[in-house]
Amino acid sequence: MTRAAIIVCWVMAIGLALFLIIPLLVIAAASFSPTPVFDLPLTGASTRWYGRIGRLDGFWPSLLLSLQIALLSTVISLVCGTLAAIAIARGKLPGAGIFATALVSPLMMPGLVLGIALLQGFRAVGFTAPWATLLVAHLVITLPYVARTMISGLARFDFTLIEAARTLGCSYPGSVLRVMVPALAPSFLIAGIFSFLASFDNYPVSIFLADVRTKTLPIRMLQYIEEAPDPTLAALSTLILAGTVILLFVSDRVVGLHRMAGTSD
Amino acid sequence: MTEAALSAPVAAPAVDRERLTAVGFVLPSFVIIAGVFALPLMLLLGVSFVDANGLTIANYKRLLGTPYYLWVIWNSLRLGLLTTIIAFLISYPAAFALARARGPLRSVLLATLFLPLAASVIVKAFAWTILLRSDGIVNETLMALGIIEDPIRMIFTETALIVGAVNIFLPFMILPIYAIVAQLDSRYAEAAATLGASPVVTFFRVILPLTLPGIIAGVALVFSLSVSAYVVPTLLIGEKYPTLATTIAKAYLLAREPGFGAAAGVVLLAIAIAVVALSARLSREPK
Amino acid sequence: MSESSPHLVVRGVSKRYGPTTVLDHIDLTIRRGELVTLLGPSGCGKTTLLRAIAGLAQPDTGKVELAGRDITHVPPHKRNVGVVFQSYALFPHLTVAGNVAFGLKVRGMARREIDVAVDRALSLVKLGHLASRRISALSGGQQQRVALARAIAVEPDVLLFDEALSALDRKLREEMQVELRRLLQEVKATAIFVTHDQDEALTMSDRVAVMNKGRIEQLAEPRELYLRPASLFALNFVGLSTRISGTVLSADNGKVDVETKVGRLSALGNFQAGSPVIVAARPEQLRIGGEDETNSASGRVRSVVFQGSRTLVEVDAGAGESLLAELSGRDGAIPGVHDEIRLSWPVAETFAFPMEAQA
Repeated sequence: MTRAAIIVCWVMAIGLALFLIIPLLVIAAASFSPTPVFDLPLTGASTRWYGRIGRLDGFWPSLLLSLQIALLSTVISLVCGTLAAIAIARGKLPGAGIFATALVSPLMMPGLVLGIALLQGFRAVGFTAPWATLLVAHLVITLPYVARTMISGLARFDFTLIEAARTLGCSYPGSVLRVMVPALAPSFLIAGIFSFLASFDNYPVSIFLADVRTKTLPIRMLQYIEEAPDPTLAALSTLILAGTVILLFVSDRVVGLHRMAGTSD
Repeated sequence: MTEAALSAPVAAPAVDRERLTAVGFVLPSFVIIAGVFALPLMLLLGVSFVDANGLTIANYKRLLGTPYYLWVIWNSLRLGLLTTIIAFLISYPAAFALARARGPLRSVLLATLFLPLAASVIVKAFAWTILLRSDGIVNETLMALGIIEDPIRMIFTETALIVGAVNIFLPFMILPIYAIVAQLDSRYAEAAATLGASPVVTFFRVILPLTLPGIIAGVALVFSLSVSAYVVPTLLIGEKYPTLATTIAKAYLLAREPGFGAAAGVVLLAIAIAVVALSARLSREPK
Repeated sequence: MSESSPHLVVRGVSKRYGPTTVLDHIDLTIRRGELVTLLGPSGCGKTTLLRAIAGLAQPDTGKVELAGRDITHVPPHKRNVGVVFQSYALFPHLTVAGNVAFGLKVRGMARREIDVAVDRALSLVKLGHLASRRISALSGGQQQRVALARAIAVEPDVLLFDEALSALDRKLREEMQVELRRLLQEVKATAIFVTHDQDEALTMSDRVAVMNKGRIEQLAEPRELYLRPASLFALNFVGLSTRISGTVLSADNGKVDVETKVGRLSALGNFQAGSPVIVAARPEQLRIGGEDETNSASGRVRSVVFQGSRTLVEVDAGAGESLLAELSGRDGAIPGVHDEIRLSWPVAETFAFPMEAQA
């Protein structure tokens, strides 16, 4: 590459990094605003907004609901998606390639369209309990993340390792536990974190399945923002960001961000 | 042939058992994808052909026959196109720098990609509403620098929408491109140079074709995400920039016109499927 | 149990995958401490036989006995075998020592004994200094040694090597062949190697089983295999040879006279007059010049290839037949290309094989 091109590349990369990170820094700064109008805490910081998060209308039930749905749908998807990925990777399944494509296809489909389709579908079969419909719907949100990560993880897994463990004295289930699980643990972690975040943050699907009493946190937050934005929301956003940072930090310790860049394409 | 036919049943049970296990393994996922994804989408297609009077194509006539809704569709496509083009122009060179970065610098750069990727869309969109308010940070900074005298209106403009959309979908563009660029063997460029190619020729004849799979993946992903974005236009521009997504939401949540909303959904779905099909076709073609 | 009593017995083992017969009634008996190679082209069933012994493939019929115990239906983890896989199959999440200790840990051995056994296994393969390394930090040759140490550490009744040296480059492979044989003899291991490399088979084994199409064509010591191949396939697969097709004129007591396009030749073999046969001899048996009581043929030298201690001379004998002679430096003058020469070789080193068994 010529020198000019290299300089352009670096300028773009640094600019891109700043552009991506600044909104997140601003929202964290605004959460310490001394006044109710998102001043940056240049003249003095206040933590009082954090204390008010819990008093937001309907906050706790929404947080609980979002955590429940995200955790449960992630766990179910991890089990189903991993099993499917194993069958696809072993190559004993006719039409495995087509099925693998079908499994990840919801990732490319507009969430809103999935939302209304599920609303119609659930209504058609008389399945209207909001909590349960949300959980089932979020399986379609989380499963593609798990399937994509586990299929690419298993594609790198050498099934001879299981045979090696068996000849060394491990039973078949023991071999899976001692060899396959540790080897796939990084993929499992990445799949779990990203599917949890996808579910926890989902708005376009949930909005059609929620009712007045059953609202996920993103629905609640959008409502707060449209009704009366104040630094309390910045504080809540900052806490959610902090949680995300912790999750990413843990996965970086265990897996390495570079590896995640390779698998989340 | 006869011997083969006779002997086949002998080995059949073992093969059958393996296949049966495989089918059992994919069954739960199959049920989810078929029952909670494929079937509802087909039902939606059916609903889009129905109104109060029964079977009809009135929903599509309304959507594709009135100038207002054609403008709405154009708004969606415009949002998708502008976001994709700008995100690509930033991401492509940046991916090369990222691929050259080593050590702590690379970790920092990757972190600035992954954190926004993992961060909540609503949080990021909310951040832009704070940034772009007339008493917001961007205006205050510009005024402090003496670039402008009075605050300019930024929130609820198309600029705000595109800036926010690019910001939110950018990681989906750079990561697939980076994944390809990072694997790019620098010897290709060296080989091209020894064969007499100028840097410009090397770029267009060697680098660009080799990185095309990453570009296709990133473009397809960012376009299909931004064309159907809902949270971003709702918070950053609102009523005056109606898109297919906001039209769908309105038809279902306010107007109670499921048939019309479904038709809008089908059009949006068709755009998404077209993008996926096109990208699959492009990345299959040997270049 | 005495040294010569059967240690591993494979009896009538067959295996089919769909319409394909991979193993066709295999019988194989191996003595304690013996090193045996299964040699053959890909698809001959050698790996499937190895997997059947390891318990990784279930035979359709037949029995496998190891150390006096019928293991036909015993799962792999209770067979006490050690396998070195082609890809090595080292556990990437464990260190070198962790890999070697794996089999001992699952056997419930005490921690201290494990440490001792791991040290011993690693020092056997000269890798004691790398015990705490990650697998990904090792070279191919080092990984191969770790895989060996891991298999040896559990003191298996039989060690099984599935193309274990094929991933190494040539020089390293030849060194490993010699070292591995010495090491296995040192620990008095019984071992089976699977390979398609004839040099590896001849170097490493006490006996070689040449396999073709799911059958063992010949089971013999390397020397006998080379000097007295039992079939045309065995002749072709191991070493070079001169082969001439012809028809049996007369047969007499294990000896036949054969009419060929290069003249009348005599060979060892039992055939009826009129049978189509291939007459073959090893190239080092061919000498320049004609003598009585020998087979001989003449032709024009097509190529001369110098290979250090020997020179290979290919002679066009006309009518589409060619002769291959291996001449050592001491044999005097090496002919030049296009020279007309006559080659002769002893009848006792000439074999006849049935034509239809062409490999």
